Amino acid sequence: MVDRARKGRYTSLAITARDAGATHLELGFPFSDPIADGPILQEAADRALRHGTHWDDLRSAVRDTSTVLPTIVMSYANPLWTRGLARSLANLKEAGAAGLIVPDLSLEESPPWRRAARRAGLDLTLLAAPGSPLARIDALARASRGFLYLVSRYGTTGGGEISRSADLAPLVRSAHAAAPELPVYVGFGIRDRRTALRAMASGADGVIVASALESALARRPSTATVPRVLGPIASAVRTGGT
Amino acid sequence: MPSRYGPYGGAFVPETLVPALEELERTWKAARRDAGFRRELSRYSRSLGGRPTPLYFAERLSRRAGGAQIWLKREDLVHGGAHKFNNALGQGLLARRMGKPRLIAETGAGQHGVATAMIGAALGLRTEIYMGEVDMERQRPNVLRMRLLGAEVHPVTSGQRTLKDAINAALRDWISNVRTTHYLLGSAVGPHPFPAIVADFQSVIGREIAREAACLWGRPPDLAVACVGGGSNAIGTFHPLLRTRTELLGVEAGGPRGHPTGAASLARGRPGILHGTYSYVLQDRDGEIRDTASISAGLDYAGVGPEHAFLKDSGRARYVAVHDEDALRAFRWLSEDEGIIPALEPSHAIFAAVREARRRPASHRIVVTLSGRGDKDLEVVGRAVGA
Repeated sequence: MVDRARKGRYTSLAITARDAGATHLELGFPFSDPIADGPILQEAADRALRHGTHWDDLRSAVRDTSTVLPTIVMSYANPLWTRGLARSLANLKEAGAAGLIVPDLSLEESPPWRRAARRAGLDLTLLAAPGSPLARIDALARASRGFLYLVSRYGTTGGGEISRSADLAPLVRSAHAAAPELPVYVGFGIRDRRTALRAMASGADGVIVASALESALARRPSTATVPRVLGPIASAVRTGGT
Repeated sequence: MPSRYGPYGGAFVPETLVPALEELERTWKAARRDAGFRRELSRYSRSLGGRPTPLYFAERLSRRAGGAQIWLKREDLVHGGAHKFNNALGQGLLARRMGKPRLIAETGAGQHGVATAMIGAALGLRTEIYMGEVDMERQRPNVLRMRLLGAEVHPVTSGQRTLKDAINAALRDWISNVRTTHYLLGSAVGPHPFPAIVADFQSVIGREIAREAACLWGRPPDLAVACVGGGSNAIGTFHPLLRTRTELLGVEAGGPRGHPTGAASLARGRPGILHGTYSYVLQDRDGEIRDTASISAGLDYAGVGPEHAFLKDSGRARYVAVHDEDALRAFRWLSEDEGIIPALEPSHAIFAAVREARRRPASHRIVVTLSGRGDKDLEVVGRAVGA
């Protein structure tokens, strides 16, 4: 999560994440009403807003991290919409962002967003969920750019058990068949080696870690925290992926 | 039924909810065509809800205003004491049709929570209500009512701890339990199809107004007035009158005098995306949702239903904001002039109606939807007026 209190530390956080095995960095822009998020990311957003975090903090954070790792911005729809979609996305591209995740953007609402992202040169990643019918998974995979974000279970981000690999596998297979070049990454509830292995066993190409890292950083805001959380997950992805 | 009202509306939701919204739309469309469903809805409306509700000529209040006639659509007489019953019943029957054994709902003033708890009890569905901690404190009698009706009430402690935060909590619950749970959204907000469904079930208000007006006067009212938080009683009042010549006036909460926004999303907000719909929203430059203020918990919301946004832009309806102080004055007028203690929410509409009546001839007929009764507000009002 972008937080004004973290100013000046994004580059070193990105470097440690890269060294721990991360291939991309997701930077969240805090929103007052994050309906897809569990308590950890809700609190992180509240904290960031209390610290006076603004749009310009996001741009400068992206500038810092994008020299180290391809940086994907996660933002709810309203902050992007409110300053004009074309302008927001141009801002992010100019700061160096590679892609964008909008957790409250449905496939049905996505066409103007996909056009704007294409024009700005950003990959707009769509989310698929365990309840999505397979035909819908195919449509999502074909419309998604960068990767497909597969939500691991019914629930919000953070704690809780992820679905069984056997339940996720058909979704991953279907997405791979519809869009053979597009990697599928599993997120929501990936926090350690066990959950990462379980996600990878579905045939996914990678995992996304947010709450686990955010809560560890909230407890111990040092760069040493990053490899402690990401190391075991990255190694699970390497072994699970082969 | 449209998913958009001009540019407004839509469904901005996490993917997890999309299959449930599609199922809800399918079920509702099938139910509307099903004579059995319509019969059941009307039977419960009549024999459990007490519908139809009367139109009452507020003669002494009209005299106080000194101008047009003010008539009250008595939704305060509906079972539970508010119009919320109409939608809770309709959606409760849809939930049963979908085979979902559990209802969840958000509530601000507690009226929708009470209505959902009543319907949950009557239809044998487990019911859990999310309510902001601040609202639980200021609408205590309704918390007790919900619990007595067998519902579980979850205090919401995030954000400003009012209606907006209760909706967040309910949406998060729904994301986690969507296969077994129906989210019985209480206002004309949220992702499609909720605004259309809520307007449909609340339109009974406007239909009855039009019917009784035709009997009494041979024509529709000159002006219809209703308070707007999310806007369910207003959209229910307006919908059946859209194709008549009746002027439509929505009344938002202006909050305490001097507050920069109150809870007047249409008057002081700009278009944005909140709780799954594109409509007017009180927000800052970065698109963060602003804190709101209103003496009435039921109007204390930073967004508004997308159809109201459309009616505002198209000019078909006008929207004004009324301050807390003026709503309190109207609360006392109606109590003292007519012996009716209104809820604080429609007190805003009463004030605006009196102001309108003053400017109009005695031949004009103004209908105000009295969306709920005021028992729940006695403590708040007592404190405010030092009684």
